[in-house]
Amino acid sequence: MTIGGAGGLLSGLLGVGGGLIMVPLLVFWAGYRQRDAHAMSLGAIIPISLASVITFGAAGQVRLGYAIALTLGSIVGARVGVGFLARIGERPLKIAFGLLAAAASILLFLQ
Amino acid sequence: MSGVALYAALVAFGFLAGAAAGLLGIGGGLMIIPFLTLVAGASQHQAEATSLLVILPTAIVATIALRRKGIGDAALALRIGALGAAGGVIGALVAIALPAHVLRLVFAVFLAAVAVRLLRDGLTTTQTGVEA
Repeated sequence: MTIGGAGGLLSGLLGVGGGLIMVPLLVFWAGYRQRDAHAMSLGAIIPISLASVITFGAAGQVRLGYAIALTLGSIVGARVGVGFLARIGERPLKIAFGLLAAAASILLFLQ
Repeated sequence: MSGVALYAALVAFGFLAGAAAGLLGIGGGLMIIPFLTLVAGASQHQAEATSLLVILPTAIVATIALRRKGIGDAALALRIGALGAAGGVIGALVAIALPAHVLRLVFAVFLAAVAVRLLRDGLTTTQTGVEA
């Protein structure tokens, strides 16, 4: 439960997705397997992003055309990604998320 | 880039971001926001708001697909996320009071530690963990 709070807190603080903090907390703290942690993170992102959409959407900053085009691609991509998630081994998945964390860390340092 | 080419690029990039999100358990804002500012010419605020609107249906589609495959626990995940939503409101309020670059540095160090740990775990051949 604290993981959700921490994920949302950081998401609100930094404007980054909660997944980047929830996945490591689910794995290292709650002891989830990497695959299950990724699945839990995706589910938890639903209410977090819904609350943010309501909060920020009210400001009228959304480029609706861009959002629709991106979503058309991403809902197809999400199914493909989940298909990979279902088949990939724990270790390649750890390496993949480790590389993502490294890239995100470098991006944050450079900002 | 403009017109049809831009929208085609947005659909293609959306596919890549969605695939990464589904595999890595993230929303995809990390990829979508820079693309919108650098390629589509959106402002930072527009990019963040638009990204959130893309993340929501992406996470819903991914979660439905995962539930069908029996991976994770969607009900528990939604409850964790509901608390996260409350945390997000508090976080946004705290962010106003704290210097952003300090928060970014703390998070960058956290992610670097996560990267080292996961890459070590993933690359160690003598790992005793259960292989899926």
